[in-house]
Amino acid sequence: MSLKTKALGGLILAGCASLYGCAGQHSEAALQQASTDFQKVKEDSNVLRIAPKDVIRAGESLARADRLSSYWGSGSDVLHYAYLSERYSEIAREHTNQVLNEERAAKLELERQRLQLALRESKLLSVQQQGKWLEEQIVALATTQTDRGLVMTLGDVLFDTGEAELKSSANRVVLKIVQFLQLNPKRVVRIEGYADSTGGKQENLKLSRDRAQSVADVLMDLGIDDKRIQVEGYGDEYPVDVNASERGRAQNRRVEIVFSDEKGQLGAAR
Amino acid sequence: MSIRPLFVALAVLALAGCAADPAPNEQLRLTEQALEQAKAVGATAADVPEMKLAEDKFNRAKGSMNDQSFKNARMRAEQAELDARLAEARVLTLKSEEQLNVLNTRITRLRKQLGDAQ
Repeated sequence: MSLKTKALGGLILAGCASLYGCAGQHSEAALQQASTDFQKVKEDSNVLRIAPKDVIRAGESLARADRLSSYWGSGSDVLHYAYLSERYSEIAREHTNQVLNEERAAKLELERQRLQLALRESKLLSVQQQGKWLEEQIVALATTQTDRGLVMTLGDVLFDTGEAELKSSANRVVLKIVQFLQLNPKRVVRIEGYADSTGGKQENLKLSRDRAQSVADVLMDLGIDDKRIQVEGYGDEYPVDVNASERGRAQNRRVEIVFSDEKGQLGAAR
Repeated sequence: MSIRPLFVALAVLALAGCAADPAPNEQLRLTEQALEQAKAVGATAADVPEMKLAEDKFNRAKGSMNDQSFKNARMRAEQAELDARLAEARVLTLKSEEQLNVLNTRITRLRKQLGDAQ
């Protein structure tokens, strides 16, 4: 053998060794990482309870990667199984988080129902306390059959000036609506907010929408499914009276509740 | 020295190659299923990085199948399957978090109203 071929052989051998060395280090690090991740999920009692299968698979893949790492030239296989093991650990972790969230949500749902009941009772109580004479004050409460369907108007008196929150004097009306919707489970509503023409267009639009939304929020809080409620804000459009007089403007500031027919068919929005 | 042993060795190697890595059709089917399941819950490559990994690896696995490089195809498909499953799990966890947020907002609002009413 010539010196030249010897040198070449040596070079190739060195090259192979260094390549193997790199791959070896690389796969060693991946193996370490996978093993750390596996330890973490294995020691988490929640993960073990919720995703035992994924933990087992993570362990199996890790064992395989570990076994392969003792063979020469198996770097890419070690990397592969370390990768799979890490993925299984991550999936186990995600799955656990999901189920824990769902368990927590189930508890919160019970809490929500309890609060809903309490709120309904307290509103009923306040209605009884307010007595008859307040009824007269909710003057703007009216239900009319229009070409848009059954429409109930919540007048300006039920809101503070410039505010979107419903006043507690609206409790009676709101409870009526809730009662009506519970007796007619197929009916849906569209809540439309309107403003008068004083103030900027944008503010009016926002205020009218916020007022409609706050009515919708109260209905939802009292147990009406949010899928049954649409919300629209029309700003100062569609006035019912002139904007020139104070009385007219008060008439125009209102929230209208449009009821669907018994089958849940709502007239088209304006 | 004859070269016959070389042929024998090559033949053995080729046979060993075939025996060790048959076409991973079943794995590709599994991977495709996992991808579809992840898509069904709303995982997209644009939103979930693992979904992009899964789709890329699945495409490369199909490429390896065409090249008859079955070992590569199997490894890529196996990784793609788990990437897709992880993407699916991430989306579901995110959804459960959103649901928690909605519930918490509602409960806060109810508490506030109850406080106002009393």
